[in-house]
Order: sequence, then C-alpha cells, then structure tokens
Amino acid sequence: MAHILVISDVSLRFGGVRALTNVGLSVEPGELFSIIGPNGAGKTSLLNCISGRYRPTAGAVFYKGQNITRRRPADRAKLGIGRTFQNLALFQHMSVLDNIMVGRHHLLRNNFVTGSLYWLTGARSEELTHRRRVEEIIDFLDLQPVRKAAAGTLPYGLRKRVELARAMAIEPELILLDEPMAGMNLEEKEDMARYVVDLNEEFGMTVVMIEHDMGVVMDISHRVAVLDFGRLIAEGLPEEVLADPHVKAAYLGEEDELLIDPDEQAVTEATA
Amino acid sequence: MNAEIDALIAEADTLPKLLRHHARAHGPEIALREKDLGIWRSWSWRRYYDHVRDFALGLKALGIGEGDVVALIGDNRPDWVAGEIAAHAVKAMTLGIYRDALEEEVAFLINYGEAKAVFAEDEEQADKLLNLGDQIPSLEHIIYSDPRGMRKYDDPRLMSTEALIEKGRALAAGDADLFDKLVEATKADDVAILCTTSGTTANPKLAMLSAGALIRHCAAYLEADPKGPEDEYVSVLPLPWIMEQIYGLGKALITRMKVNFVEEPETMMHDFREIAPTFVLFAPRLWESIAADVRSGIMDTSPLKRALYNFGLSRGLKALENGRRSRLADVIVFRALRDRLGFTRLRSAATGGAALGPDTFRFFQAIGLPLRQLYGQTELLGAYTIHTADDVDFDTVGVGFPGVEIRIDQPDANGVGEVVTRHPHIFSGYFKNPEATAADLRDGWMHTGDAGYFNEAGHLVVIDRITDLAATAHGDRYSPQYIENKLKFSPFIAEAVILGAGRDYLAAMICIRYSIVSKWAEKNRLSFTTYSDLASRPEIYELLRKEVETVNASLPAAQKIAKFILLYKELDADDGELTRTRKVRRSVISEKYGGIIDAIYSGRDAIDIDTVINFQDGTTQRIQTSLPVADLASPKPSKQPAKAA
Repeated sequence: MAHILVISDVSLRFGGVRALTNVGLSVEPGELFSIIGPNGAGKTSLLNCISGRYRPTAGAVFYKGQNITRRRPADRAKLGIGRTFQNLALFQHMSVLDNIMVGRHHLLRNNFVTGSLYWLTGARSEELTHRRRVEEIIDFLDLQPVRKAAAGTLPYGLRKRVELARAMAIEPELILLDEPMAGMNLEEKEDMARYVVDLNEEFGMTVVMIEHDMGVVMDISHRVAVLDFGRLIAEGLPEEVLADPHVKAAYLGEEDELLIDPDEQAVTEATA
Repeated sequence: MNAEIDALIAEADTLPKLLRHHARAHGPEIALREKDLGIWRSWSWRRYYDHVRDFALGLKALGIGEGDVVALIGDNRPDWVAGEIAAHAVKAMTLGIYRDALEEEVAFLINYGEAKAVFAEDEEQADKLLNLGDQIPSLEHIIYSDPRGMRKYDDPRLMSTEALIEKGRALAAGDADLFDKLVEATKADDVAILCTTSGTTANPKLAMLSAGALIRHCAAYLEADPKGPEDEYVSVLPLPWIMEQIYGLGKALITRMKVNFVEEPETMMHDFREIAPTFVLFAPRLWESIAADVRSGIMDTSPLKRALYNFGLSRGLKALENGRRSRLADVIVFRALRDRLGFTRLRSAATGGAALGPDTFRFFQAIGLPLRQLYGQTELLGAYTIHTADDVDFDTVGVGFPGVEIRIDQPDANGVGEVVTRHPHIFSGYFKNPEATAADLRDGWMHTGDAGYFNEAGHLVVIDRITDLAATAHGDRYSPQYIENKLKFSPFIAEAVILGAGRDYLAAMICIRYSIVSKWAEKNRLSFTTYSDLASRPEIYELLRKEVETVNASLPAAQKIAKFILLYKELDADDGELTRTRKVRRSVISEKYGGIIDAIYSGRDAIDIDTVINFQDGTTQRIQTSLPVADLASPKPSKQPAKAA
C-alpha cells in the first residue's frame, strides 16, 4: 500500500537547539499512529512540520506521494490534513457551532460580498449543506447539549472535543491530534479514546496522535513511534515498543548510547 | 363521558387500529416530532403509519406472531413507539426495558418474557445483548436503529431497521392488503404490553396489559385531564414506564396530541423550551432540581434582578395563600420565568411517584403552574387518582378518576390501612406468575401493598409500603419514612429518625443541616464552636421546634411527634447509620443510640452523653454533653443545656 505520509530524514533546528534530528517515518492509510516520548522530545515540533507551522531545516515531508515541505499550512488543509492543538485554539466568544463551521471555511465558495446576497448566490443552500455536515459531526461527538454555547464558557474536556470537531469539519484524510486527552479525567479520556477510534474506523481517517497517557496509546494505536531528544529511538507495534530497552531508558531518564554521538553530546548535556 | 372519544375507541380498540384510523382521517397532520441534527423533524400520521406497517411486516417476515414477545430498549424515539405498535399489529406482546438497565437486568427480563426479537436503539444497547452471549437463548433478532459502531459485529442476530423495512416491503409486494388484515385481526382483549412493576426490593414482575384496558383507562384519565390535537407533549419519561405508555402511546393515539422526542436526554430542558408543551409529568426529584436551578441562577444574577425576583416571589406566595394570583408578580417575574423554563403554554402539570416538598409545590403554583399530584400502580394502568383543578392539597394524592373505586382494607383506629382499588380497566394478571396474581388481585380488587387513609376532604393520603409501617404500643400504625421525609423538607433538617415502635408516643432524633443552620446562627448573631455545640443551643431548639410543629400540623393526632432531640453528630454512612443511598438503617440506630432512645421515653428532660466520634481522617473526639429533650406538649423548651466538652 502507498504511504499516506512519509517523513523523510527531517531535521529542525532553532539556532543551536536541535529540535529534531534526522527523523524518518511513514504512515499507512487508515492507520492510527501514535507518537510518544518524554517532555521536550520534539513530538509537537514533528507535528508542526507535518501541518506546516514549522518548515524543516532539512529533509522533506511527503503527503500522498506529493512533496509538501514548502506548502503553506492553508494549502495543506485543502489537501486534507487537519489538526488539533495541545493548547486549545478556539474562538472563545463564538458558539460551538460557529467554531466548527470555521473548519468548513476552505470549502465555502461564497465570500464577504456574495454572501450578503443570501438567496441569489447560493449562499443559502451552501450554508444548509455545510450546516448539515457540521451537525453530523456534532452528533458524532455528542456535542448537542452545548451546540449554541460560547466555546469559552465550556469546561476543558468539552473544549478539546470542540477542537476535534473543528478538525473533523475540514474533512481531512489525515488528522493530527496533539495530546487530545491531556488534562482530562478518566471518563473524559475514555470518551475521547472512543471518538478517536471511531473516527479512524467509521470515518476512515488516518490518525497521527501525540499522547502521554500510555494506557490509551497502547490500547488504541496500531503503531507507535518514540522520540527522545529529537531522535526517533523506536518504532513498531505497541507491545514491541513497550518492550524496547531504549524506550525504557528514555522514560526512566537513563543515559542511552543511541542518543550519544560526539556531535550532539553537548546539546544532550545542556538539555539534561 | 366524551362521546367523540367513546365513538373512536369503540371502532378502534387497539393501538394499530387507532393509528390506522388517524392515518386515514388525518394523514398529513403532524403526529410526532423528533429533534435530529439540531432540527425538529415532523412525522405525519401517514408516515407514522407507513413506518409501523413496514416494521410490522418485517416482524412478520421474521416469523414473529401471536404469543411472541418483542422487547424494546433505548431512548425515547419514533422507532421505539413504532416498534411497539408494529409488534402489537402482529399480535406479539411488547416488553419495554429501561435504557439504563444493567446487563443482568436485561438478561432477567429477556428470559422472563422469552423475547424472540428486540429493538435495541444503538451500539450501547446492542452491546449489552451481545455481551450476554448464550445467556439469553430465546433471542433470535436484534434490530438496531443507529448503525454507528455496529460494523465491527458479525453476530447473525443483528439486523438494521432498514433491513427489517426491506423485508417488510418484500412481503407487502406479494399481498398489498396484508397489513390491513393484520390490523383488523388485533383484538382489544389480547395481552399487548408486558409492563415491568417497580421491583425496588426484588426482581420486577411483568404485568400483562391488554390494549383495550390501556385505551379505556386513557379515556377515563382524559375525562379528569382532557387533551386534544392542539396539545403538545414532550416524551421524556422512560417509555417502559406505564405512565409514558399512557401519555406517549395511549393518550396520544386517542387525542392526536403531538408527541415530541428530544434530541438527547442532556438537551431535554432546552428542547422542552423550544416545544413549550401543554402538559408535563415530572418526578418530584426533577421538579426540585428545576426549582434549585432557578434559585442558583437568581443568586448569580445582578442585584436589581435578584431584588425584583424576591419581591415578585414573595408577592406571588402571599397571593397564593389567599387563593389568588398576583398580577404584578406575574408581569415582573413569573411570565419571564415560565418562558425560560418552557412552561408558557402549560395547561396541566403533574408530579408522581414520591412526595414533593410543599415549598417546591408552592413555588411552582405561585409562578402559575397548575401542578397536581398523581398516584397509581402499573397493575392499575398507572395513575388513577389526581387532584381536581380547584382542590390541590400537597399532602394528598387527590381523588380517583371517574369509575375508580378505592377502599382502605383493615383500617386501624385512625383509618390507616391498605389501599385497595378496583376499576374496569386493570391488568390481566402477572405474566407466568398466577400465584402472585391470586395474591394481589382478589375479586377484581387490586391490593396495592401501600398504606394510606382518606382525610376529611375525601382525598386519599398514601403513606408508605405496608411492610415498612411500624406501630406504637397503642396499635397506632405510622410510617417512619413518611414522617421523616416531611421533616426533611425543612431546610434546617438534614436527617431525621422517627422512634415510637412499641412505645407510647412518637419521638424524633433530628440532625440539623449544618450548612444552613450555621448561616442562620451567624445571621442571628449566635456564637457557636462545633456542630455539637450548635445543635445543643436553646435558640436552635426553638427554631427546630417550629419546624417540627409545622410538620405535626399536617399529621393525624396519633402520628404527631411528641418529643424530639437534636443529635450531637450527623448520621453518616461511614458509621453504618445510613445506607450508601442515604436511607436510615433503623437496626443500627436503635442499637447504637439505644441509651438515648430509652432516656427520651423515660421522661427526663435532658440526657447526659459521653461518647467518642471517629472522624474520616482517623482522629477521634470525645463528646461529653447534656442533650436536652424538647417536649412539644409543654409550652416552653426544656432546661438550659450544658456545654459540649
């Protein structure tokens, strides 16, 4: 099967800090792929390279065989890459419905001028079509009780769900989730895990997820990659990764020969 | 009797026949609404009928027919009611299962009824059935409405409603009049519904209800509380419950009142407001939580609005006492409040199932809700008593519907005995349980097991289950729980234990509600240190004395509380004094507080206490105090209490 996403030898530097070093990964269509690693390992940086917020210093990102390394984030959304943010990025004063509707923005034909001629330009029927799609997502994520509430007034767990809803509204083929379960209680986590599995299985979206809760990751992921200090230290089936000595070392904070090369030792020590 | 209704139910005496009648006479009119994807979608009578027809023929194609049982489990949705009528159309019996039932409960009911097919709304419900594996051998078909999450299963019993409808249409292709013949063959006296009884202590029994009984009882109910096609009803009570069968199916199919199904249980109050129904029945707990929401909303609002609300409410309550309504209060507060709560078009409102606090009752009456109390049993087709519109008394459940006979069996000296009822439309017996039928149903009279009496106004007052009654040394029966609940309606009382079994008179051990009593104390500049200290203050005794006297005023002479004490600690589930659901454990109390109880009845006016309390964090505190006994027969409170150590 052709890979939907290939990360080829990507490195990212901020001045002297190496956020990512020669990371190479590939994700199959329909996969639920998790990226784990200790704090500061470069997980979000990697996700940002895929979604286009960061441009890798070296290497390339291929989406469905197409090199998207130099494409703008908006273009990538059009290509079918959606994402959520670790620190919520909702429009606080807009309703849940409108927040999700924002996800449809790139699919709307009408603009500021034509939209004002509501009936003439098809803006009405366009809105109806998209509203229906948004309602289906609301139904899927059980957001009905808060449909019209201002996003800023919602509890944290629900806001995360609204973020997911907005990312889904893009109708992505590849959805990037940055810690969807962070800060949630057990029940909210279980719900969210259910939604992630469902959107993977029912909607057929390929999921790349960063998550700290190892229980969830091991339960629902098809494959797992482990980053530590910007390097890929393991990749494979959840149980393989869990048994990997490098991963254990990374999580226990032990020194690992895999991470030590003369060129980088200084960086490692500085960060540690 | 309403001639129009009589003519209708004489011609159409089963639910499928009623549906067919309306589909023919009023095809394009709205029968149901369901909120789906944020929009209310209407179902005409024609569509309702077509849906039921497809379902029924589908069931027939599956080989379900006379004597089979079809179970239904899920939220209130059009598919639920359609599935029920469809099952009746093929002469099967329906068995509603509560949507939050646990797997064991589902297994018990499916096996009890030997259900062959089940309408299970979605994955959540189907999961329960699939998890039960071969524990439910009778089940052959699981029909689901919502396909989400079902792809992963390949159980051969699973089938979508679409597939069922297809089967039905294929069958109809061979014989266009088939459904008509089926409907024609339904009989009023056949058992149509197996309705679960409450079963709080044991597994529920299944009461067999015939369609004719359901319809005729609805007609009697409609005389006490008329409805028409212009009425709107929001279906939020659980459909397996007899009352929702009455409203959502029986009454709706007789009067064509529109039945609305909410989007999700969580959006209920919101959807409720959008519809603004003309009739509502809520459980007391829901009424109380609505009242509490209003109060907490008022606390958060601006001072001006709060002042207006308080002014309006006090005007309204005062007017209510004189049997009037305050027009001013209506303009400044109540009209807006009714709108917020979705009660603008409400013409009748009811509560039932348990007692509703008089303050809550008064609150809703003051804001203009015609709130009335209902009482009934599954076996007697739900409610059969109600307050008449002009005679509402919080302490009673009103009077019987037309044609209902109620008597009190084996009354004691105060008229308290078992409530025994008869009317022409009662259940046909318990399913597969003739012994229980013979025990409860004697000469056509249903022995309810509830204790009650008639007051001077001729209203029925229901106290408790007979088995939970106690008797004083003079043989006066009383319900500890009934009196305790009355006490607990006071905001100052957290818990209460009524004593008096085998004694000369009733006494109460009361735990004050610390959060509220301490605020009252602060407001009245009363200094105190701990719970024990506060509870022993004469001022607090005086305060609680008034509360107890208020309760006494609503009780018959033999059930009045003669003495009370305020306990030095709160009753606690951790100490085994309460169950986890906060019910009083009488045996533990009488053992643990035996000394105090004996002292109360010894006639002393104060009891010396020396005991040790265990706190949750493992620390202990020794309490040495003297507990005053308030004697309600004497005009003044008892002696000055000693200080807590």
